Amino acid sequence: MGEEATKVAVPESALKKQKREEEWALAKKQELSDTKKKNAENRKLIFNRAKQYAKEYQEQEMELVQLKREARLKGGFYVDPEAKLLFIIRIRGINAMHPKTRSILQLLRLRQIFNGVFLKVNKATVNMLHRVEPYVTFGYPNLKSVRELIYKRGFGKLNQQRIPLTDNSIIEQGLGKHGIICVEDLIHEIMTVGPHFKEANNFLWPFQLKAPLGGLKKKRNHYVEGGDAGNRENYINELIRRMN
Amino acid sequence: MCRGGRMFAPTKTWRRWHRKVNVNQKRYAVVSAIAASSIPSLVMARGHRVESVPEMPLVISDSAESIEKTSTAIKVLKEIGAYPDAEKAKDSQAIRPGKGKMRNRRYISRKGPLIVYGTEGAKLVKAFRNIPGVEVANVERLNLLKLAPGGHLGRFVIWTKSAIEKLDSIYGSFEKCSEKKKGYVLPRSKMVNADLARIINSDEVQSVVKPIKKEIKRASLKKNPLKNLNVMLKLNPYAKTARRMALLAEAERVKSKKEKLDKKRKPVSKEELAAAKAAGKAWYKTMISDSDYTEFDNFTKWLGVSQ
Repeated sequence: MGEEATKVAVPESALKKQKREEEWALAKKQELSDTKKKNAENRKLIFNRAKQYAKEYQEQEMELVQLKREARLKGGFYVDPEAKLLFIIRIRGINAMHPKTRSILQLLRLRQIFNGVFLKVNKATVNMLHRVEPYVTFGYPNLKSVRELIYKRGFGKLNQQRIPLTDNSIIEQGLGKHGIICVEDLIHEIMTVGPHFKEANNFLWPFQLKAPLGGLKKKRNHYVEGGDAGNRENYINELIRRMN
Repeated sequence: MCRGGRMFAPTKTWRRWHRKVNVNQKRYAVVSAIAASSIPSLVMARGHRVESVPEMPLVISDSAESIEKTSTAIKVLKEIGAYPDAEKAKDSQAIRPGKGKMRNRRYISRKGPLIVYGTEGAKLVKAFRNIPGVEVANVERLNLLKLAPGGHLGRFVIWTKSAIEKLDSIYGSFEKCSEKKKGYVLPRSKMVNADLARIINSDEVQSVVKPIKKEIKRASLKKNPLKNLNVMLKLNPYAKTARRMALLAEAERVKSKKEKLDKKRKPVSKEELAAAKAAGKAWYKTMISDSDYTEFDNFTKWLGVSQ
């Protein structure tokens, strides 16, 4: 363990520890520079994607308006395509529920009053909604609703934990394998119900909204009777503004 | 007059006084107590005054076994540094607090050193037994109640040379069976090497250990990107240009609207007025000359309209 009589004896273990520490420091520095470079590249990619999406949304809107004008000009009507995306909000509490409807609400991840989730529209989901109509209100969210919900109240599910979406790395960690690496990607996937809508939607923890400012009209009745339950189509956006 | 009746659960003499303990467990206890008696920290923790004792375990020569007078015994204790312990025991003699006083347990005192001797019939028994606190025992008949009084390990033991030499044959070693106790071997320890510091700093452990995480990242407060621009930019770098374009477009819109309104609010000049009126007249003329209608000639007569 000791070297020459003139030098101080350094124990072998201390030398080994020093070498190990150097190796670790080197590896750490390398890793840091790698992640920095990757981040810079990603940033550019995200910018371009966001720009492309903005153009896409603009185009879609203009196209809709154009088609409507055209139809009106010819004297006919343009029927909007049926909505693909729904936003459901649970408006009734926990007590005195039929166990079957309770299970359906649990399947929809609406376990608490004023919880909200996005939902794809197909025969299966529409039938489920029909059975829980008195407990929820739902409708077709627009881009502003989707954006605001995800930015303000978006939380992701990362190994069973509810993590706030404060950074794109969180989204990349959760949905990277489906090509969704930033918030704008996520919003695009939800808005235009894309091929990985299921994974993206499941990644989003159910939104915990606040009680609507200005109040609800009458929880016990259906929307068409002057109340709040059931399908309120586009007026859901107004409710989301008050609840977000 | 006193109240009547019998006491609750009258105590009986046929209470089960005796307990059976496995022989191996009894031996384990004695062996552990002997081991503990050689560790100064345990002995001091038990309360013995062993600061001036030269070495632990304390072994004295066999000449002590032939001491006959108590005065010499005390001198010997003083020489070996065990006297403060005996003195502590003498000073601690007191009357017990509580009902034990009237139940034949009137006096209490601390325990002093335990002298263990090896040869049968040694004279030192008589010499040491009257010193308060000091107890004597033959190594072949060690009593657990004396080695670990009150269940607390670490009695201060003073061995004679022959006593300590006999221990090996009485209890055996970790490999060799004991001679006196048939088939008995000292119990194995839970950890062979109990020096944790040495183990942790050993090569085998340190070579597979991961680096210490100095900076622990904790969750920060979530800020609303819709209100806080920097947080928004972190998530969506395009937001800056989008916002800039929106602001510019808004400014442009405001400007053009203002211009249009100003133009409307300005009083119309004579030439413009005349031009507007002429254009109106021309348009009216085109309206009344409908070239597509075939019966227009009849229609004009009926309307009374002049070309």
